[in-house]
Amino acid sequence: MAARRAIKAVLVDLSGTLHIEDSAIPGAQEALKRLRSAPLAIRFVTNTTKESKKTLLERLKKLQFEISEDEIFTSLTAARNLVEQKSVRPMLLVHDSALPDFEGIASDSPNAVLIGLAPEHFNYQTMNKAFRLVLDGAPIIAIHKARYYNRKDGLALGPGPFVTALEYATDTKATVVGKPEKTFFLEALRSTGYSPEEAVMIGDDSRDDIGGAQKTGMLGILVRTGKYREGDEQKIEPAPHLTCASFPEAVDHILKDLL
Amino acid sequence: MASWARGVRAVLLDVSGVLYDSGGPEGGAAIPGSVEAVNRIRQSGLKLRFCTNESQATRSQFVHKLQRFDFSISEEEVTAPGPAAKKMMQERGLRPHLLVHDDLLPEFDSIDKSEPNCVVIGDAAENFSYQNVNKAFNVLIGLEKPVLISLGKGRYYKETDGLKIDVGAYMKALEYACDITAEVVGKPSQNFFMSAVNEMGVKPDEAVMIGDDVVNDIGGAQRCGIRAVLVRTGKYRPSDENHPQVKADGYVDNLAQAVDILLASGVAGH
Repeated sequence: MAARRAIKAVLVDLSGTLHIEDSAIPGAQEALKRLRSAPLAIRFVTNTTKESKKTLLERLKKLQFEISEDEIFTSLTAARNLVEQKSVRPMLLVHDSALPDFEGIASDSPNAVLIGLAPEHFNYQTMNKAFRLVLDGAPIIAIHKARYYNRKDGLALGPGPFVTALEYATDTKATVVGKPEKTFFLEALRSTGYSPEEAVMIGDDSRDDIGGAQKTGMLGILVRTGKYREGDEQKIEPAPHLTCASFPEAVDHILKDLL
Repeated sequence: MASWARGVRAVLLDVSGVLYDSGGPEGGAAIPGSVEAVNRIRQSGLKLRFCTNESQATRSQFVHKLQRFDFSISEEEVTAPGPAAKKMMQERGLRPHLLVHDDLLPEFDSIDKSEPNCVVIGDAAENFSYQNVNKAFNVLIGLEKPVLISLGKGRYYKETDGLKIDVGAYMKALEYACDITAEVVGKPSQNFFMSAVNEMGVKPDEAVMIGDDVVNDIGGAQRCGIRAVLVRTGKYRPSDENHPQVKADGYVDNLAQAVDILLASGVAGH
């Protein structure tokens, strides 16, 4: 068993961990309040690429979560930062509702391909357009490479498989900015002032949430809600620090054993 | 004289990008000189077989299309992934969910498709919609042992209006989504090349493969001990000649030039 640590910061995944679409995970609001009563910095880290920060915040407020905008760190923000750094004009394969986060970014005669979760763009024609750009040298920027996500009607493909398709067709590698990239977790943590060894990540995605966070030195708690499927905890090495039923149980563990 | 032509008794021809470029309202266009080149191979007495990963049509429709472009070709001379996959499913009792081009569907008419226990993916082109790929994913993820059969694994191919993403990209998408490895039926699988060579009754080192895909045609054939020549038509890009892993035994401008070299080297059947 790992040595006991004093945790100062908690990173919490949103979709699948606090809520599934427009329903909160039972008891999650209460649990978040309990977590806030402890001396902990909290950040909400999400690969939800369909929604701008603002939309995200509105939904969480509607579900009665007490969250402020500066506690949210999304992969869209990370992607925009990279586009500006590289000064490229991206073909935006993102959902319309994510566009506000890219206001002011030039996307005419594109020389880069930026991919988020955008099923409406993942048709053969648009994929071919993107493919030809990349073959001509445009870099692929992937907001994240999630394999699939949980929708009310079942599992649905995330952007990862389509990024992989473009990578294979063009024999190139995408730059991934979201979870499970190390830089994503470190960026999210930076504003708290704590180190990875003082942080714990709670999420429903074994590889992207837990595996990614643990690679930076954080602890990871896997919850059996959202996209979780039986045996997911065995898919990563080292295994999650803890696997538990849902967010409220994860909070109990932190308050009881990790402070 | 090019050394790749020495002692050749049999020729394996890739079709798309070597004989013709697909696409457009007429279904494509013959590459200049290729119709005559096929005829000259036949007249020389060399054994001949067509080895294609074409999965946008049944083998029979595909052959008819090529005949309309005046190619001398018959169905029994074509090694194609559709019929090979069908045979494999019959042998293993597999019932497919099909993510393929509409025109390939009749190839699997006689196969039981109820309660699918595998997914067959081909070059589905416009059928590669999010909904369709997602459906295939859901079939696979619902299986205890997901079986994904891919008809070839090409990266892209050339149509008359430009380069198009090939089945391999979507095979990789499903592999990634389900954390599995597909079984490839077609080039570059060794079984596929070997069945073509065996049907010609020659040894691998007596045959030459002519194709436009450096990995699947050239690399695939070479791994079976078959010589392989890359044509500068179809999807060919100059960078293919500096491929980090694959070096062709020869490079030619087109099929016609390959046949010139073969015939000049004095190869002939008996």
